[in-house]
Amino acid sequence: MATADVALARPAAKALDSLSPRDRRLGKFLLAPALIYITLLVALPFLLALFLSLTNSSAGSLDFSFVGLQNFRSVATSAVFLRALRNTFIFTFVSQFLVIFLGNILARALLKTFRGKFLVRFLILMPWAAPISLATLGWLWIFDSTFSVINWLLKVAGWLGPGQWYYWLGDPTLGMVAIITVHVWRLLPFSTVILLAGLSSIPAEVHEAADIDGAGPLAKAFQITLPMMLPILTVAVLFGVVFTFTDMNVVYLLTRGGPYNSTHVLASLAYQEGVLGGDVGRGAAVAIFLVPLLVVMAVMMLRVSRRAEVT
Amino acid sequence: MQTRRQFIMKGGKLVAAGVAASAAGPTIFTRGAGAADKTLKILQWSHFVPAYDKWFDPFAKEWGAKKGIEVTVDHVGFADVVPRATAEVAAQSGHDIHMFIGLASAFEEHVIDLKDVVGTLEKKYGKSVELAHRSTYNPTTKKQFAVSDMWVPDPGNYHKKIWTDIGQPNGPVTYEDLVKAAPEVKKKYPQMQIPIGIGLSQDIDSNMAVRNMLWCHGGSIQDKDGNVVLNSPETLAALEYAKRLYSVGMTQAVLSWNAASNNQAFNAQETSYILNSISAYRTAQDNNLPVLENYFFVPALKGPTGIQLASEHVMSGYVVWKFSKSQDTAKEFLVALIDASRDSMLASKLYNFPSFYGAAADPGTPMNKKSESGAAWIAKQCNNDPFGSKPADKLALLAKSQPWSTNLGYPGFANPGEGEIFDTYVITDMFAKAATGTLSPKDAMTEASNRAKEIFNKWRKKGMQPGGSKDR
Amino acid sequence: MQRGPVRRALAVVGHRLLILAFTAFAIFPFYWMLITSFKQNSDLYVGASNTAHNPFIFNARPTLEHLRILFGSTLFPTWLFNTLWVGALVVAITLALAVPAAYSLARLTGRWGEHLSIGIFLTYLVPSTLLFIPFSRLIAMLGLQNQLWALVMIYPTFTVPFCTWLLMGFFKTLPKEVEESAMVDGCSRLGAITRVVLPLAVPGLLTIVIFALTLTIQEFVYSLTFISSVERMTVSVGVPVALVRGDVYYWGSLMAACLITSVPLAILYNFFLDRFIAGFTVGAIK
Repeated sequence: MATADVALARPAAKALDSLSPRDRRLGKFLLAPALIYITLLVALPFLLALFLSLTNSSAGSLDFSFVGLQNFRSVATSAVFLRALRNTFIFTFVSQFLVIFLGNILARALLKTFRGKFLVRFLILMPWAAPISLATLGWLWIFDSTFSVINWLLKVAGWLGPGQWYYWLGDPTLGMVAIITVHVWRLLPFSTVILLAGLSSIPAEVHEAADIDGAGPLAKAFQITLPMMLPILTVAVLFGVVFTFTDMNVVYLLTRGGPYNSTHVLASLAYQEGVLGGDVGRGAAVAIFLVPLLVVMAVMMLRVSRRAEVT
Repeated sequence: MQTRRQFIMKGGKLVAAGVAASAAGPTIFTRGAGAADKTLKILQWSHFVPAYDKWFDPFAKEWGAKKGIEVTVDHVGFADVVPRATAEVAAQSGHDIHMFIGLASAFEEHVIDLKDVVGTLEKKYGKSVELAHRSTYNPTTKKQFAVSDMWVPDPGNYHKKIWTDIGQPNGPVTYEDLVKAAPEVKKKYPQMQIPIGIGLSQDIDSNMAVRNMLWCHGGSIQDKDGNVVLNSPETLAALEYAKRLYSVGMTQAVLSWNAASNNQAFNAQETSYILNSISAYRTAQDNNLPVLENYFFVPALKGPTGIQLASEHVMSGYVVWKFSKSQDTAKEFLVALIDASRDSMLASKLYNFPSFYGAAADPGTPMNKKSESGAAWIAKQCNNDPFGSKPADKLALLAKSQPWSTNLGYPGFANPGEGEIFDTYVITDMFAKAATGTLSPKDAMTEASNRAKEIFNKWRKKGMQPGGSKDR
Repeated sequence: MQRGPVRRALAVVGHRLLILAFTAFAIFPFYWMLITSFKQNSDLYVGASNTAHNPFIFNARPTLEHLRILFGSTLFPTWLFNTLWVGALVVAITLALAVPAAYSLARLTGRWGEHLSIGIFLTYLVPSTLLFIPFSRLIAMLGLQNQLWALVMIYPTFTVPFCTWLLMGFFKTLPKEVEESAMVDGCSRLGAITRVVLPLAVPGLLTIVIFALTLTIQEFVYSLTFISSVERMTVSVGVPVALVRGDVYYWGSLMAACLITSVPLAILYNFFLDRFIAGFTVGAIK
């Protein structure tokens, strides 16, 4: 019987060659649907979009002429683009750092049992459950220069004196703060859940053994918790990074990239120039810059995570 | 399969009368060989006045029903009009008629020529208002790429009590008035957040406002022949003015305004002057807001040499896609829509102004008097607001707004370059940077001018717009 | 190690305060949305510099007008239904495609499987603002314009790659002995998968269900592109079309829509959460 053969033939390590031909066929069969789907519906349109970036296509027209790398050249030298590139990195990494840091604290706090925990969890999950376009509209009002309830609170608390005011969305720096705040607000629940799962999965014996060995809290954190959490931490970080890096909604709804294009990220800039402005080739060029950057980051993170898995 | 009516039909008699009138007219366009003209799909923006959609949708469907045509009307937010058009062009299918509220110029190559429609309308009603003509016709390609049924004037909205307190009970007349008034307003009303509410952000209201400032100081993006003339002492003068106004009358808030922000600020009495169509005013009426008794209007402001110009706030441009299989039906519908100009204006609570004044004329008026008659009817509505203004002639100035209203692309025609500049906020960014001191006015002007030339040249290469030899 | 009762009490208070702070941060916008849904507009349009007027309470009688508009003048219930319908189908398709693929990549392929998995993951990185143009053409060619099926077909393009990769990593953490002992007992490979592996993989499956559902509900660009009839729209597209009209925002109704969509989802997620975490813990206790 094939299965028994497999079981007997299995020595110590991951001998993939010991896969029976039946298993290998099954493997291909199981993989095929997803692979076909992705190739047809992602790879091909992506190649078409890549192609569009090398043309002077406008207004969605699929009838255009080649202009080579001109779009890339003109985009890469534009100050607006460079600013958008910078913003994309800043928003992503600052918000991700905050999300992981805060998520960790919150996850630890949620490990304990306390009265009302079920309700608290529900409330904390709300930002993740809300449709982003609608929730961002709410934040639009909360940050609105005329009606900001944050400003009202600050004024009532005495923080803002007469004549002082925070122009959340009208100031380039405050605009970035606002955008990062919304990203953090939205991603915190997801990361917290993932981290909570990771923390719960570390068996108590491991901590106890470390205590017996006399390890202090910091040593425990870095030498035990962190390495054991690394695979799941990678998932949380990678997901959050990709999500924020490619996000157009939050920026577009809050500031439309303003004031004077200073809060654009690549995704929102691509939308403004390519779709609203009608220069599809140029918009595609801006958006395509996203991909190699993401690829590099993703590969780096995957490497780190794989090394952790091995140990 | 009857498409579902979404709203209760009010004013049914109005609709029926309008439909009967248009159906009684002769079938103007020859039916093509194909019987695909049995359906008509229209894409329209969500009008700020919901009552307008409640009129329009049944109007279109009834019109179709009388001719045995199934009409579908779909709506889209104003910010999504262009993305949807882009998607349909990419797909080469979708709706037959697409309504643009800004410039449809960028899509010129994908739409059919509507010369015959305009010809028919001119024969019936006389010429359209000049700004509508210049927004829908391309003299370089000689193509009538869109038909406009309505436009919306952009008056100044001012707060009567505040301006009375500072000694100008009839509101500002010139741009200098704003600069002089701002410190006074601040002194008398220190808690008011933004004395003068003119946006400098990446949005449609700001786009209009900065062009008004530019034109009234003698500058413009292009000249009448399509050369880029942004680089000029007049533009510099406009930017210097904006800088002065910003420092005395505005705050960073205006750099982040969206289309609703100035409405909301004025309605909350946090600013004394904004540039807006009557949408904000109707909101104040509908909600009985405290600002209502002080809500008044003034015409476009005058520049230092007396130029008085304001852009239209909205200019409808209906296009018919080349891929449409119901082109003749579409053309007939457009004529019928303009036939119903009076209903359109009333249904929109006087927001929509007819692009063909003659279409609002009293029936039976001779051809050469049609425009006058239409103007008279429009004036009658504005002088005695059917929607409850107190005093009833609050909106009278709108009837006289045509002389100071102009199109995007002034002093020339609208074109794709102007459209792209509009949609990517080149001019508002120029003003914002100069006003806040981020760039010197000269540098801001140079930056914008270079970008404008880059954009214009791109479209010139496609043969869709003129000029180039005299770019500054 | 001695910990006095005072220190313990302080620790508890500190813990509760921390929880309170995080909760406040999470629901602060929702609280504002809640009162705005019932506020009269004259109560809403008051500048924040006016400290006498508290935006967090009702200064005028609450009103049901915004809800009346939301449910009476728009197709909100229809949009909710459409959104959930699309969501359910997309989740089903994602599971159908990603689970076998993930298992295959984790167990049944070799080195080339590793590389392929990274390749699959990378396709997730292509933004929708780029792809919607070629997709428009594709959808039109397939005759799916203005059909919710277009969304059902296209949405898995951003759920399947990530879910496959995620689940693959998850399967790898399950030791091979699990299937192998089942197969020794006479199961086929497929039998082992369904009977033994999948139950252990429940947290991973829950993760991708929630993830796919969330992304589908939030998606906006494709929905806008492919659907033009109001009665076929999803919540993210329909609500702004009906309630952001030109330069007038119907804030009360908009915020009510947001709340009504979020609350049931959050409740759903909350119920899954325990199972999810438990699954991780079980997996660790080998």
